[in-house]
Amino acid sequence: MDEENILKFVSAYLKKKGFKQTEHAFQEELQHSKTTNSSSSQISSNSQFDPDIAKQILSFAESENGPTRYQDGYSKLRSWTYSSLDLYRNELLRVLYPVFIHYFMDLVANGHLQEARSFFNSFREDHEIMHLRDLQKLEGVLSPSHLEEMEFAHSLRQSKVNIKMCQYSYELLLQFLHKTQSTTILGIINEHINFRVYPGQPSSISDDTEVVTLTGSSQDAINQVNEKEIHWGLLEDSLEERLEKTGGLTSDSEKAEGENKEPDWDDNKKKPVEGGKQGSSIKKLKKDKAAGAAGKPTRSETTTVVMAPRVKPELALPTVSAEVEQSILEDLRNRVQLSIVALPSVSLYTFVNTHNGLNCSSISSDGSLVAAGFSDSSLKVWDMAKLGQQSVDSGLQGDSETTPNEFGTSGGKRSYTLFQGHSGPVYSATFSPLGDFILSSSADSTIRLWSTKLNANLVCYKGHNYPVWDVQYSPVGHYFASASHDRTARIWSMDRIQPLRILAGHLSDVDCLQWHANCNYIATGSSDKTVRLWDVQSGECVRIFIGHRSMILSLAMSPDGRYMASGDEDGAIMMWDLLSGRCVTPLMGHTSSVWTLAFSCEGSLLASGSADCTVKLWDVTSSTKVSRTEDNKSGNTSRLRSLKTLPTKSTPVYSLRFSRRNLLFAAGVLSK
Amino acid sequence: MSVVPKEAIEVIAQSIGITNLSPDVALALAPDVEYRVREIMQEAIKCMRHSRRTTLTTDDVDSALKLRNVEPIYGFASGDSLRFKRAAGHKDLFYIDDKDVEFKDLFIIADHGLTEGGVPGDHILRLSELGVDPRKLVHRRGDPETRHVRRKKLVIEAPLPKAPLDVSLTSHWLAIEGIQPAIPENAPSEASADGKKSESKEDGLPMDIKLPVKHVISRELKLYFEKITELTKNRSWSIIFKQALVSLATDSGLHPLVPYFIYFISDEVTRNLNNFSLLFALMRLAQSLIQNPHIHIEPYLHQLMPSIITCLVAKRLGSRTSDNHWELRNFAANLVASICKRFGHVYHNLHPRVTKTLVHAFLDPTKAFPQHYGAIQGLAALGPSVVCLLILPNLEPYMQLLEPEMQLEKQKNEMRRHEAWRVYGALMCAAGQCMHERLKKFRGVFSPPSRAVLRSNGKIAAMMTNKRKASTDNLMQQPPLKKLATDGSMGAMSMNSMQVDMQGAAAGFATGIGASHAGISSMSRQLSSEQLSGRELGGQTGKTSSVLAQAWKENMDAGHLVSSLFEFFGQSMFSFTPKPELSFFL
Repeated sequence: MDEENILKFVSAYLKKKGFKQTEHAFQEELQHSKTTNSSSSQISSNSQFDPDIAKQILSFAESENGPTRYQDGYSKLRSWTYSSLDLYRNELLRVLYPVFIHYFMDLVANGHLQEARSFFNSFREDHEIMHLRDLQKLEGVLSPSHLEEMEFAHSLRQSKVNIKMCQYSYELLLQFLHKTQSTTILGIINEHINFRVYPGQPSSISDDTEVVTLTGSSQDAINQVNEKEIHWGLLEDSLEERLEKTGGLTSDSEKAEGENKEPDWDDNKKKPVEGGKQGSSIKKLKKDKAAGAAGKPTRSETTTVVMAPRVKPELALPTVSAEVEQSILEDLRNRVQLSIVALPSVSLYTFVNTHNGLNCSSISSDGSLVAAGFSDSSLKVWDMAKLGQQSVDSGLQGDSETTPNEFGTSGGKRSYTLFQGHSGPVYSATFSPLGDFILSSSADSTIRLWSTKLNANLVCYKGHNYPVWDVQYSPVGHYFASASHDRTARIWSMDRIQPLRILAGHLSDVDCLQWHANCNYIATGSSDKTVRLWDVQSGECVRIFIGHRSMILSLAMSPDGRYMASGDEDGAIMMWDLLSGRCVTPLMGHTSSVWTLAFSCEGSLLASGSADCTVKLWDVTSSTKVSRTEDNKSGNTSRLRSLKTLPTKSTPVYSLRFSRRNLLFAAGVLSK
Repeated sequence: MSVVPKEAIEVIAQSIGITNLSPDVALALAPDVEYRVREIMQEAIKCMRHSRRTTLTTDDVDSALKLRNVEPIYGFASGDSLRFKRAAGHKDLFYIDDKDVEFKDLFIIADHGLTEGGVPGDHILRLSELGVDPRKLVHRRGDPETRHVRRKKLVIEAPLPKAPLDVSLTSHWLAIEGIQPAIPENAPSEASADGKKSESKEDGLPMDIKLPVKHVISRELKLYFEKITELTKNRSWSIIFKQALVSLATDSGLHPLVPYFIYFISDEVTRNLNNFSLLFALMRLAQSLIQNPHIHIEPYLHQLMPSIITCLVAKRLGSRTSDNHWELRNFAANLVASICKRFGHVYHNLHPRVTKTLVHAFLDPTKAFPQHYGAIQGLAALGPSVVCLLILPNLEPYMQLLEPEMQLEKQKNEMRRHEAWRVYGALMCAAGQCMHERLKKFRGVFSPPSRAVLRSNGKIAAMMTNKRKASTDNLMQQPPLKKLATDGSMGAMSMNSMQVDMQGAAAGFATGIGASHAGISSMSRQLSSEQLSGRELGGQTGKTSSVLAQAWKENMDAGHLVSSLFEFFGQSMFSFTPKPELSFFL
């Protein structure tokens, strides 16, 4: 290829693209160089062009003749992929979606709106199963300015998609693209796809969970994040542990034991408060080893909790009074052991006459109190113990009438206590572990603390700028965390009106959150389809879990602290291993949004409640075990087993809660 | 290009007062409008999810607008989801079905004074307050009232809508140890069974599922069943029904229909207690089924028995007085007896249960006489030993109850007296049969003491005759047909005339001996001692074997029996004594 040709191409290209000034400058320079004849060095470097690239440039210039090329090019690629060998098809199919969306966005960006629409509509169906939500978002993009404005599209344009592919598939793809001279596709692939080519056989379908999910950072960064160490063990010196130690002692000796322990407990508590930080960092290393060692041996089903390693709390923990401790110990002693063969009893609380106004419900740890947040800004609390005796209730109602939050009781006896204070729909409510406080979050961007003893509002926490979707008490009380539409999660303590930590990083609303059993971590689920795990002390993101295909609505942490379950809008539940950051197994079964998840107290069962009016019980022990022993054989064996489906009559299940004695409480609204 | 047509943009522009919107602007705005609307809807969906709903409401759109700092659209808020109707001729066009409210229904025109006096103040609402000109309304109505309207006030007639019910919370057990209790609060179990089924399939676990068994019967059998039931219901006195009964009693291929027939019988009996002919037909149907040797009816007896017992001891059977329910009771009694006889040995508690039920009916003085009659007949049909054990011990108190009802002067109600006499007749038959059996048993050894017995019996008979002259006459006066019916089930006594003869003979005998005026109780004591002596005498006359001694003992009881029976029924008992003995007596 001689220089003349190249020059011709370049000028033709510039002309075509309408770069008039550049072309002009180019021509001038060309003239200039010709006259001076001293440009040999520059052009000689140009002349070392790979002939291949030159050809590409040539074809590029030729092919740039209209948006119809796009549709042709994509449909060619599509039919080629679908007709490829089964072995490689799965890998090659993954390329289609990124190419599709970027093709579309290219068309929009170039102003070919009509064509973009028709292109989108003609191939939309291919991707609907996997990427329905994203497509719905993109569908509305109708002008280049929208692309700029829309955050989702914007970040899509800027980020690269990771696709894992075996060597041979990769070569096949490149060969095809070269042969058909589909330069636009090549361009997109270069620009937006990051191939991670590995030698050997193509992977099986099960790896398909690595869908295109935006995380706002590169895959490497995510990997780095997921490399960070976490200590999933339980708090040392927990009540459970003490119960295990004392074993089957009678309550009297138990009491003595508890009293003896009391000073101990206080000491332990003070240490971290005063300056345990350096100490804990050293201990952390030790614990790490312990964690690694304890993770390996197979656990017996009943003693899962015991086998978990112990960690130091990073937060200063509140004290627990002796009576409360006694009652908890009593509960623990009377706990029903649940397993595959011993399923729990489920008590369903059904709300009636809510007129579509109920947004959330929450059940206290002993199931005696039920709180419900309504879209008319009210929070209502039912005392289930009093529900049977209405006459007694009315007398009590009179007492509570004196509090500022009580009015309108003239209508007669009401079975609930009304808390008013919010100025927007109440989206979440949570009971403190002892049931004496309730926190509620609302669309008015505040969180309010209520006392169930005084029936009054105590504190209003302001900090978020947008509706607060979720609020959760920590397992030990005192601390709580909130998730908001402003894409942050915040950690608070009851005694301060400012947040202690702001956890920022999600690319969309933070929809739900859950504390880790040892209070050192918080998991958040977001509309950006990721779940993140944050270190409470540092406020850093320590894990990113990618795999969901729609908005995450519910989270649950296993009591041993090793696993996490998350449920999404489409009814999928995923079980994650916190250590590896990988999905242990997806749980398919629900047909609609999973509103709530709960682990049984010893961690052998997972209960899920959904909008499809069912409560499902899943076997957790077998699945986690299987996955550990047969890590590589990802197939049907590792699937979590659905033990039982309990259909309600017509009640979507909004919340689930295992009491300390392993009785399962469920709450939902009767809907016609 | 955009879903929103540019015409829509133009219309909206006009509605807010921009009349000179150029087409280019509209064209450019259309895609942007679509983009914004989609954006809002996505936010709205988010709000919907956080309200834990799966249907989008106007509230969600409002809160989405609020999130974007846009003024919400007022006026569409509604607690319930809107009802959309499809526009005719358009596939994707919907509109809200907004019902027109008739003012006529809502308001009345009322006088000032009346409204202020009669209707609570807050119910009065001027139309002008509602933004409606009352004059227009009135003019449109155009009725003669128009002239008076100016002095009147419009008042809402329709009552205020009820305040919505307050939220409440109920609780129930969704599952107890993993098993859903079958309570109305839970979803019906079929659904859960289905769920379980699919689940087990998924997991490939061996699970024991019992599918509901479908009972398939052939078309021919179906037709047969329909025909029989139709016949039973409508033409139970036709010849064809009789043939059908024969077929039911003999056909060998009917077993699949048995549960249906049993159900049919029990169902129809409970529903048609006042339809006498149907009840009778049903009993005959039941009888045929029981008779059929090819049908294994035993498992269904527990379903069948209550129906039959009902036909035996129900308070009322049939609606008219002309219905011969006595006959039906007799029939049912025989049916019960035959069932007990046939299945008593395999179905151990059948006999005790039936007798218990009947005795309860018999001993309950609050029950009506027809019920007593049925119970007595039923017990009698079960055999003399049952009568001996259960009726005879209670005979004396029962007679005390029955006696006043039978006498003309004490019971004025003809119907009731008649019923009492029926019961009396039934009792007599039962006791008599029992005695007959006893006496027949000891026929061989009866001769020696018979005289003594005869003598004492004679005494008693005389007593009774004197005492019951009127009543016996009453009995005699009964039309022969009814008489026959009374005794119908007892084939043994068809000797009406003989009874009369006997009466005469006994009377003569009594006068011959002379009336003694001792009390009944003392008399019977005397009688027994006499009998005793008589027997001893008999014993001495040569019967010495131990078997016979035993027989004597029993005979002694029989003697007791006879004596007490005579006490109650008088000489009519003679008709039950076997002829050879009767001849002895005479």
